Amino acid sequence: MLEAFNFRVLLDYLPLFLKGMWATAWLSGLSLAGALVVGTLACGGRLSRFRLLSALAGAYIEAIRSTPLLAQLYFLYFGLPSLGVRLPEYQTGILALSLNSGAYMAEIIRAGVLSVSWGQIEAAMAYGLNYFQRMRYVVLPQALGVTIPPLLGQAIVLVKDSALLSLISVFELTRAGQIITSERFMPAEGFFTTALLYLLIYYALKAFSSWWQKRLIFVQPA
Amino acid sequence: MWLYYFQQLVHTFPFFLKGLWMTVAVSGLSLIMGTMIGFTAGIVRASRVPVLGKLLFVYVDFMRGTPFLVQVFIIFFILPEWGLQLEAFSAAVLALTLYAGAYICEIVSGGITAVPPGQSEAAKATGLNWFQRMRHVVLPQAMKTILPPLVGQYVLLVKDSSVVSVIGVTDVTRVGWFTVQRIPEGLMVFGLVGLLYFVVCYPLIRLANQLEKRLRVDFGGL
Amino acid sequence: MRRWTQRLGVFALLAVFLCGLSVPAAADTLQEIVQRGELRVAVQTQGPPFSFVDKNGVRTGSSVEFCKLMAQEMGVKVKFLDYDWDGLIPALLSKKADLLAADMTATLKRALKVSFTEPFYYTGAVVFTKKGRAFKTIEDCNKEDVTIAVLLGSTGEAEAKRFFPKAKIKSYKGGGPLLINAVLAGHADIGVNDETAVVGQMQEFPPNSIEILPIRLSKQPLAFAVRPEDTHLLQWINLFFQWVREDGRYDQNINYWVKSLDWKKEH
Repeated sequence: MLEAFNFRVLLDYLPLFLKGMWATAWLSGLSLAGALVVGTLACGGRLSRFRLLSALAGAYIEAIRSTPLLAQLYFLYFGLPSLGVRLPEYQTGILALSLNSGAYMAEIIRAGVLSVSWGQIEAAMAYGLNYFQRMRYVVLPQALGVTIPPLLGQAIVLVKDSALLSLISVFELTRAGQIITSERFMPAEGFFTTALLYLLIYYALKAFSSWWQKRLIFVQPA
Repeated sequence: MWLYYFQQLVHTFPFFLKGLWMTVAVSGLSLIMGTMIGFTAGIVRASRVPVLGKLLFVYVDFMRGTPFLVQVFIIFFILPEWGLQLEAFSAAVLALTLYAGAYICEIVSGGITAVPPGQSEAAKATGLNWFQRMRHVVLPQAMKTILPPLVGQYVLLVKDSSVVSVIGVTDVTRVGWFTVQRIPEGLMVFGLVGLLYFVVCYPLIRLANQLEKRLRVDFGGL
Repeated sequence: MRRWTQRLGVFALLAVFLCGLSVPAAADTLQEIVQRGELRVAVQTQGPPFSFVDKNGVRTGSSVEFCKLMAQEMGVKVKFLDYDWDGLIPALLSKKADLLAADMTATLKRALKVSFTEPFYYTGAVVFTKKGRAFKTIEDCNKEDVTIAVLLGSTGEAEAKRFFPKAKIKSYKGGGPLLINAVLAGHADIGVNDETAVVGQMQEFPPNSIEILPIRLSKQPLAFAVRPEDTHLLQWINLFFQWVREDGRYDQNINYWVKSLDWKKEH
């Protein structure tokens, strides 16, 4: 397959690949934002003193983590219509990714929050800070530092998981590769280009996270 | 009609069990070998060995930055061009092993770096050599940070193994795709697939949670 | 930033190096098949009537049975290697399989990369909809508010774009039954796929839920594929089809699997 690697045809399909990369970027961007919101909420619920809330959040996290994304996607796309809710593909996809990744985010954020030692919180209490002030000024800034690497890891997983959306007719990067495979029978060209573009996204995310981490350290001497 | 499909599904259940067995076999083997590779690589990386460390960066980046599907593709379809012709099953195990190894390498090296350097230095002062320090001082402490995410990674491994169905390993996801041709109730079929993954993954998740509770550490939190 | 570019550079170098390593081996595949006593066929499990796993868990269908017959004539065993669509072409090109047998349309673009046999069957893209919907003609379907479900990379996709330029196209992945599902669930108004596939697959759905419109969009040749250099094997397969057409085994297969629903009773 490699000796006949065709760069010329690849060039013809380059706009398609770039379009796919852009779609992957914004789909994962939105889902990432959604996942952070869902994750923070679920983590809040999990750490809550209310037993019911904590149990519910725990059940959500465990259910998501122990079933494949494919099954979750199918449930949202083919299952919800029979309950009378029919979402368009892009919304379904973003929802599925947010819910899926949100469960992992919740665990990551929780680990970060728990990493802040109890003494710090007691000290903040002694200063008379209320719950939100403690969270905002003491716990979260420290927790963020610990959570950036695993959050980055999860973001990368999310970007790659978004490839599954092609199952429900969403156009993205993996699909661009599949199109060149099926139209021109050029699998090597399709797969390697896809891989390279994902690798670019990966390095961009990595660069961003190390920049952010450095900035955090400057802001608050840990 | 639902009832009819359900009866059909019950009829095909033995194939699902066969598929589940394949999933467990592929992921189980990769889990063992991936752990060995991951620990070795993680220790090497955390010890900052000059050239090897750089190479490990490339390995981990490639595994984390490209879609697993592409890695499977390279191992199964491209390696034959360089003289390594593998059966679908061995190719699947190899791909999953290398993939899991990269993530486990991250977890292990992260865990080792989290052990305060004072520990290792103190051990050095007492005359322990590198191997003894690793074996008796650093690793036992690092295990506390390593174990929970490690088990979490095993869960991901089980679910990621579904990708190898692309090269014809008849795992539980593939059985699902076969069945949906005959029982076109995607929700029901993949609901069952999801349930079977749940059966394997849920105990692992509980185990991870238990380990996390028991091993919660607070370095220097005196 | 320099570190990232450096690492990408390492990948590029590695790729170039590995490309240089590959050595094309030349041998007569047909001789090899006879030598090893096994015909290796790459198939997909896209559903009835061509290739599917029946209710007993046995792989069967029109193409699968043709391949068994081929192996019988060669005097060798047959081994089916089952791949996803994504793995089908790579399997052939990387010599995992000698022959690719699916209900694959032999398009001119695809034929640039592999050698197709003489077409073994002609099918065409048809339009189907949920029973009771008011779609009758091409004009009914070619409207902005109509959504069409097709399979990614299929000829149905190309035909749908050609005939219904105004409509919205949704390309799914994962097999024909999924299209019917999408139409029944209301994610799409109509679906476009090969007639053979639609007829075979709608049998699994509730009776009278799907209706095929009396429009045939195209006529397309279905063919098996071999690697471009395997002319000997290609000629042999073409000859094989001439023989079975003459002695009735071709009609027997096609009548049983494709032109009727007789297979439903046993599979």
